[in-house]
Amino acid sequence: MAGAYDFVPAIAALPLLAFVVSLFFGQYLPRRGAEAGIVATAGSLVLSMWTALTVAGVTGSATTYNENLYTWVAGLADSAVTLRLGVLVDPLTALMLLIVSLISLLVHVFSLGYMNDEGETGLPRYYAGLGLFTASMLGFVFANNLLMAFMFFELVGLCSYLLIGFWFRDAGPPSAAKKAFLVTRFGDYFFLIGVVGVFATFGTGLFAPIEGAETLHSFPELAEEAIASGASEAGVQTFFGLGPEAWFTVLGLLVLGGVVGKSAQFPLHTWLPDAMEGPTPVSALIHAATMVAAGVYLVARMYGFYLLSPTALAIIALVGGFTALFAATMGVVKQELKQVLAYSTISQYGYMMLALGAGGYTAAVFHLTTHAVFKALLFLGAGSVIIAMHHEENMWTMGGLRERMPVTYYTFLSGSLALAGIVPFAGFWSKDEVLYEALIHGLGSEGSIGTLLLAGYAMGLLAVFFTAFYTFRMVFLTFHGKPRTDTARDPEPVRWNVKLPLAVLGIGAATVGFINMVPVKKVTGAEIDYLHKWLAHGGIELTTSEHYGELLHDVAHIEQAELGPLAPGAVSLLLALAGVGAAWTLYNVPEPEEHTDRLGGVKTLLMHNYYQDEYQVWLAQGVTVQLARAADKFDQGVVDGVVNGISSVSLFVGSRFRRIQSGVVVNYATLMTLSLVLLLLAFVVAGGVL
Amino acid sequence: MAIVTQYYLVLSAAVFCIGVYGILTRSNALMFLMSVELLLNAANINLVAFSFYYGNLTGQVFTLFTMALAAAEVAVGIGIILVLYRNFEDIDVTKAATMRW
Amino acid sequence: MTSRPRFATDVNYANGTAALALFGVLAWTFVNADFLPPLGFGEGEVTRSIGFAMFDMLELIPDGHGETEGFLVAFIVIAVVLDAALDGAVMLARREGEDESLVTALADGGRRLTTRERDGLDDSGPAADSGPDPAADSWEGED
Repeated sequence: MAGAYDFVPAIAALPLLAFVVSLFFGQYLPRRGAEAGIVATAGSLVLSMWTALTVAGVTGSATTYNENLYTWVAGLADSAVTLRLGVLVDPLTALMLLIVSLISLLVHVFSLGYMNDEGETGLPRYYAGLGLFTASMLGFVFANNLLMAFMFFELVGLCSYLLIGFWFRDAGPPSAAKKAFLVTRFGDYFFLIGVVGVFATFGTGLFAPIEGAETLHSFPELAEEAIASGASEAGVQTFFGLGPEAWFTVLGLLVLGGVVGKSAQFPLHTWLPDAMEGPTPVSALIHAATMVAAGVYLVARMYGFYLLSPTALAIIALVGGFTALFAATMGVVKQELKQVLAYSTISQYGYMMLALGAGGYTAAVFHLTTHAVFKALLFLGAGSVIIAMHHEENMWTMGGLRERMPVTYYTFLSGSLALAGIVPFAGFWSKDEVLYEALIHGLGSEGSIGTLLLAGYAMGLLAVFFTAFYTFRMVFLTFHGKPRTDTARDPEPVRWNVKLPLAVLGIGAATVGFINMVPVKKVTGAEIDYLHKWLAHGGIELTTSEHYGELLHDVAHIEQAELGPLAPGAVSLLLALAGVGAAWTLYNVPEPEEHTDRLGGVKTLLMHNYYQDEYQVWLAQGVTVQLARAADKFDQGVVDGVVNGISSVSLFVGSRFRRIQSGVVVNYATLMTLSLVLLLLAFVVAGGVL
Repeated sequence: MAIVTQYYLVLSAAVFCIGVYGILTRSNALMFLMSVELLLNAANINLVAFSFYYGNLTGQVFTLFTMALAAAEVAVGIGIILVLYRNFEDIDVTKAATMRW
Repeated sequence: MTSRPRFATDVNYANGTAALALFGVLAWTFVNADFLPPLGFGEGEVTRSIGFAMFDMLELIPDGHGETEGFLVAFIVIAVVLDAALDGAVMLARREGEDESLVTALADGGRRLTTRERDGLDDSGPAADSGPDPAADSWEGED
């Protein structure tokens, strides 16, 4: 019987089919396409689970799979590059497939309550967008080479644009969609150059080698060999006279441009808060759990390549740590529910980047998993609140919803405890491990990279306090206290299709942390770090976390210090509790005030997002438009001028030549006679008479 | 002694070029037609000269035909001059210059 | 029409140089060409042979003829062409919108007749207009 791997393309093909069905037949279906979406994502989930079981070795087949399925462009000469599409399944892929299909299924179910029950119009387009997005994201996850990953990367960006701008008749959503698309596109431009660079350097974009009659090497493998024994030995070509390590740093930073854009890190983070103009289920799926994860997932996928360049790792860690702190400070003053969650997303992805930069591969993947669960939960909970409050999002109009919406409250509380990092909820274990990895690698490594990792750690640690503070500020303002408006006193009830996904995710946020409780393992010695084991094993040796650990030590020279996990864990837990306590005292009162007003000028700065939006608009208008104007002048003046000049020569010669046609027949006869004379002379000369 | 063929040809060329000269320089349409007659007759001289050179009477018969055709052509040409006069009020060939750029 | 022809002084001499150049080239070529002595016409009368050849009756010449061939088809074709040319000339000379008679050929020396005059002439009937009439007289007198 066919193994699970033969059905892996179907994992993405099923939502694609749902997309087609919703687009063309959605208007005839009773739920406007939701049925197709739910069935398709449920099917994807089942196939993902089967794939995960196969990767775990339960079914007895090979535990990894890497095949090229389709040749898109065949290379002509021997050394030319061939562009293919293929599938790579290894433990990381299997985990991500599960996450994406589960969250997508729950969001589809939630959409029944958020969109269908609220009587929204244009739903076939909505479900088509969700289906296309799910298909693209799943395709991105199992892509086996960089070009295919780029193609799906762009597709998810497109779906994000379509879904953010769903309510396109209002003023806000189309503008937000355009901003999201343009800001990520800016980053993707560098990514594209990086992809071309990788293909030009290595001749291949494969993430992992394909064994077979003729082994196809992957580019991390070739890069490793180039660092070890020189570029020409490995058949690798560097450019601009740079050595292999410097050139690989350049390539890594180019690809990082796309990652920074997609995962909303500083400075390309400005699109994510605006993207909250889209429907909340879209925010939950795309801008919390999956699309923004694409950037981090890409770095994890290419981790064998990034580990060869300590400079790139330091930059990743620094960007991540800075973003974590930067976004957390902005989340403190926000008044709308979804805005707080948006800044929280930016901040948490900063943690993942910090982990990747510090060499904590397993920590980053762990935080990716837990964050997907609890952030989706928080967004869906916010969606439930928004439905109840008749689409009112400002937290200051809420209050006292705890008694009126118990399911939402308890699940939201579960997610918030996870986000703040309170033991034993999921966020505690993963965030704690991220900070621990940053700390020990920072302390253990020498030189500037150690200092930079420690700086990242410090920023991440400070952000823990702010995270806990704004999270519980959000919880208390929304659910506790006395209701501040009539709508809060009498909220609209939500149905099972809202409560079911919340319940599922609520349980998940409480329990998913147990897959990798490293501190408990270190203390008790029990082998319960399942995720670590999951990522360490696998048929493709080059993509296991063990191999990454070796590279980290040998090539990047990032060492670990000898430090137990309990002390740093206790520090971060204390900070989180301090943040919760501060929020408790300030906001857990019957009638809270806007204490952030006391910050004065700082609040203005934070409310304006450190003027980053204005800065980017200025860059576009002040710098880019001027450059574009100059380029346009060059194009019209020089390039068009040359073409027009050539045609004007032709016109001028033509206008002079036409005067031969004077209309006087006698002149024509004269010309004919002269021509006849010349012709005769030519014949005479050619005939040899002359 | 027989006249050498070259001289017949030179005569024919001379008559032909006088006709061409007339076409190129004359502004009167009737003078233009007379010059065309000269051209045709120059060709006739040439035909007869070569008929004698090759000893074949076909050349002379051909000449008779061309003479008849020349007459027909003049008839049509004078008709055209009539129409030209009707449209341009003058039989100056340089005045009929409307088919120009 | 009674004055003798004058030397044309209103000609465009520049165009004529092309004709002179043409004559120069032709004459120079002909003078330098090599020709064998001409063959001549051989036995038989030239004119008689031409006449019989015109109607494809060369075999009927009793005394032999010069070398030639039959031209009956060409003769018929030329006859047709001449006929056509005659009709063409008449058609060109006819004025627009006039009746079919040949009276229009008796135009007044080129002077444009007004409609009344023309109608007046035509009203008298076609028969009365053939032959010398005031139009022809005035033509005589005009020059």
